[in-house]
Amino acid sequence: MAALISAWRRPPAAGRAAAGAASTLSATQIGALGVLLAAAQLPLVLHLPLWIAGFGLLLVALRFALLRRDRLRPYAKPARIPAWALAIFALLIAIAVRKSYGYFLGRDPCVAFLFVLVGIKYLELRTLRDGSLLVCLALFLLVTPFFYDQSIVAGLAALPAILAAGAALDALSRGEHGLPARSWRATWTRTAALIAQGLPIAAGLFLLFPRLASPLWGLPADHAARSGLSDRMAPGSISELSLSDAVAFRVDFDGPPPPRAARYWRGPVLSLFNGREWRALPPRAGGRLASGDGPRVSYSVTLEPNDHRWLFALDLPSALPQIDADPALRTSAGGFAGLSGDGQLVTRLPVTQPLRYTLQSILRDRHPGASRGDLAIDSQPPPGNPGSVEFARELRSRHPDDRGYITAVLKWFRDEPFHYTLAPPLLGDHPVDEFLFDTRSGFCEHYASAFVVLLRAAGIPARVVTGYQGGDINPRGGYMIVRQSDAHAWAEAWVDGQWQRFDPTAAVAPSRIERGLSSAVPASDPVPLLARADGGWLKGVQLAIDAINYQWRRNVIEFNRDRQRSLWRDWKLDAFSPWQIVAAVLLAVLGWAGAVLAWIAARRTRGERAVVLWDGLCRRLARAGLPRPPWEGPIAYAQRAAQRWPQFAIAFRAIGESFAALRYGSASARTPERTALIATLERAIDVLPSPSALRAIGK
Amino acid sequence: MCRARYSAELQLSNDEAPSAMTVRSASNNVPTAHRLAAILRQLSEIIVGKDEPLRLALACLLARGHLLIEDIPGVGKSTLAQALATVLGLNYARIQFTSDLLPADVLGVSVYDAGSQGFRFHAGPIFHSVVLADEINRAPPKTQSALLEAMEEHQVSQDGETRKLPDPFFVIATQNPVEQIGAFPLPESQLDRFMLAIELGYPDSGAERELLAGGDRRARLADIAALADAPTLAQWQREAAAIHVAPALLDYVQALLAASRGQPASAAAGAAAATPAGAEDKGATRRGLSPRAGLMLLAAARACALIAGRPMVVPEDVQAVFCAVAAHRLAGGARAGTFQAQSLMRAVALP
Repeated sequence: MAALISAWRRPPAAGRAAAGAASTLSATQIGALGVLLAAAQLPLVLHLPLWIAGFGLLLVALRFALLRRDRLRPYAKPARIPAWALAIFALLIAIAVRKSYGYFLGRDPCVAFLFVLVGIKYLELRTLRDGSLLVCLALFLLVTPFFYDQSIVAGLAALPAILAAGAALDALSRGEHGLPARSWRATWTRTAALIAQGLPIAAGLFLLFPRLASPLWGLPADHAARSGLSDRMAPGSISELSLSDAVAFRVDFDGPPPPRAARYWRGPVLSLFNGREWRALPPRAGGRLASGDGPRVSYSVTLEPNDHRWLFALDLPSALPQIDADPALRTSAGGFAGLSGDGQLVTRLPVTQPLRYTLQSILRDRHPGASRGDLAIDSQPPPGNPGSVEFARELRSRHPDDRGYITAVLKWFRDEPFHYTLAPPLLGDHPVDEFLFDTRSGFCEHYASAFVVLLRAAGIPARVVTGYQGGDINPRGGYMIVRQSDAHAWAEAWVDGQWQRFDPTAAVAPSRIERGLSSAVPASDPVPLLARADGGWLKGVQLAIDAINYQWRRNVIEFNRDRQRSLWRDWKLDAFSPWQIVAAVLLAVLGWAGAVLAWIAARRTRGERAVVLWDGLCRRLARAGLPRPPWEGPIAYAQRAAQRWPQFAIAFRAIGESFAALRYGSASARTPERTALIATLERAIDVLPSPSALRAIGK
Repeated sequence: MCRARYSAELQLSNDEAPSAMTVRSASNNVPTAHRLAAILRQLSEIIVGKDEPLRLALACLLARGHLLIEDIPGVGKSTLAQALATVLGLNYARIQFTSDLLPADVLGVSVYDAGSQGFRFHAGPIFHSVVLADEINRAPPKTQSALLEAMEEHQVSQDGETRKLPDPFFVIATQNPVEQIGAFPLPESQLDRFMLAIELGYPDSGAERELLAGGDRRARLADIAALADAPTLAQWQREAAAIHVAPALLDYVQALLAASRGQPASAAAGAAAATPAGAEDKGATRRGLSPRAGLMLLAAARACALIAGRPMVVPEDVQAVFCAVAAHRLAGGARAGTFQAQSLMRAVALP
């Protein structure tokens, strides 16, 4: 579209003549390309290792320095770096990237390599063809930040580069046709106008162009370390996680959210214990969905990528999750997720991009269903920690009844001076013993671990469940944010033929469950800012940004085929077949393009270019406080302006004389002389600052 | 007022050497505008502080028109004529018009020559390139019309013989303001023959001081050198006539003419509002500018553009000469006409 319009506006006769001379790029064009490149590189900087980012930017800066040198010493031989040196350099970079990442064919090393390669290309940029190629490369580079982050901030960060791409294309096309460069301001204005003309088309295509059921290609996924729950738990692992206020997932409830104390987001279930560390069993089929009575909730979760295969659900799902974000996953055979034997929701593939699924749950702290094998594993006597085993045996002798024993353990936790803290002391070889009898201060994983150990030592099957507890409603978006700082660990015990949830942390620090982390730990503990109740304005701003991003993701990023179809149904478009809609969209696009072109043509015939420019100038100067009386001629007006703003006297003189020559001179239309006069007029007008600036400096 | 303003502006565009838009004389390489500027500089040393009347006088000469100066005695009218002739290398004659001046005193007379046994024509003072007709409104109408006919025809017919006047032929007539006693005011039809009518006016204080301190300017006339000659002037006149006039400018001139006749509503409103009290709209309409006035306006504007070094006429050129062209042709005499012409000019927007 942009190219079409610029082709339309191009004065053809003068252009062809000078085309031959412009096959090498001018300094202005190289500058414009450099700005484009830097703008395309900057959004990536945060995703790359420092040395790569520095290197790539340095190459661009180096070319700018060479340009400056050439400008200051126009007669010196221009500095050129030989092509073979650049090739060797590229090879070295490839090796260094391979060394740095440990592999090469993957998202991160390839993006890093492209980042530097584009810089190298810029360094050897010479001809117009190089210039066009570099624009394509820069646009490709501009796509890569979206591999990492598709938030609205990432979109906004790409805007300068889009504008710069327009400016660079404009500079290239003007050079190609022998026209003098425009001022920066004129270039930006023009590019912005072109993009604005294209926006309705983009919006129309976004809403109406039929989407494919599955994308043509997927995002490459690298296995980067991400914070989040893992399938192992050692003392300290969850308290460490609680120091992060990164978002784990966001939830939209249909209806009011359940109370905080009931919001146990169930995650990995850990059954294997080696005396120090808990581990999960490999997931096995055989889970049974919850049924029966209890409050039912229906909600949808948008999970941040965590590179694991589990999903989070309120206590026990009554239906398998429905997914609408990635049809590719959904359509694969056998559903995209299943319920494992220990009641975990497990996906087929690791979650490497944001995933949205809808669920129904029944809020109940007990649920049936366990295989005999599971029970055997969950009732194995705990290794190590002899003190705890002895204590359990002694306590069990007084409480032969399972339920009575569990109540006694919880009561013991409540009565003894246990402390709930984010910064527990380090523990040695028998961590449960040391925790229970020496340090007596710990985070939820300590309590859950010790509780399960005490139960298993007494022969009651029990296991550790990790997940999140709580979550805060974002007042600006009406949805719930669950952060890593909400990470929690609790226990489940096999009592009366079903699994029942017990939370020893609730016995020690009930406010953790009732009001959240920040109210439960000592004030000196390093609770992350966003998990605090009194986050202040910073938290407010963060929540607002989060709300915007959430809407952005829900409405723009996740606008997929189903959403599109439902939109069409709302608009009563579903009566038409997709090809009819495509044809209509194409017609609408052509219609819009035609309207823009017709508008330009109408403006052209209504007044020739010179008159349009002159009228614009008169309006600007009138805003700056120097209106032109209708009878005043161009030269007299320009002289009056030059007296008012002597610093622009030369520009005003050029404006007056070139317009007078265009309007009253003998040069007929479409001659080179006329084109040159129009260029002079344009450039002289470009020199002037904005009306407000003129008003400020005028007397 | 408007004249003063435009003189200043034209001055500006003239002082800076015109660049791409300079008109180059065909005969030599010095741009015509530069030579004309030199002539104006020379003249302004004699006639101090009167740059605009000087420019208009020169423009009038370049446009092959004739000049009418309306002013009181003693402000330098004769000096202007004489200086112009001297600088341009033309011969010069002055005719003092009196109430008993006869046509023959102006045109010449055939006298019987005993030696050749025939009549011999003694050319009158009009057979000069620059003729100053001083106080033309003091002569009787018969003499006035003899002069004006010669101005129009560029030739003199007497005793059945037609004699051509010299090629650059430029009459500067001066006229005392008609309120003065013993004057025969020129009728409109004859005023129309003059391309421009200007006033010299009193010098401003600085110029007057210079004048008083420097002594009689006329004495300096002997010192100044001719910067051109008759063929050169004829060449310049051809160049001026060839200056480009764009359709847009013709539109403007037509709009001015129409407004002077009270034709388009907008322009007529301006003109009517400007008409001094007592003059009715109808009168104003009847005394609009003639097509000849339009031609003269264009010719004078072309000469102005030549002086400014432009290859085309711009509205500023038209405006610079408009008052001088229109004032004596509009109702109410030169002074009221000036006011009216200014209002007209401001009422007509550039097309």
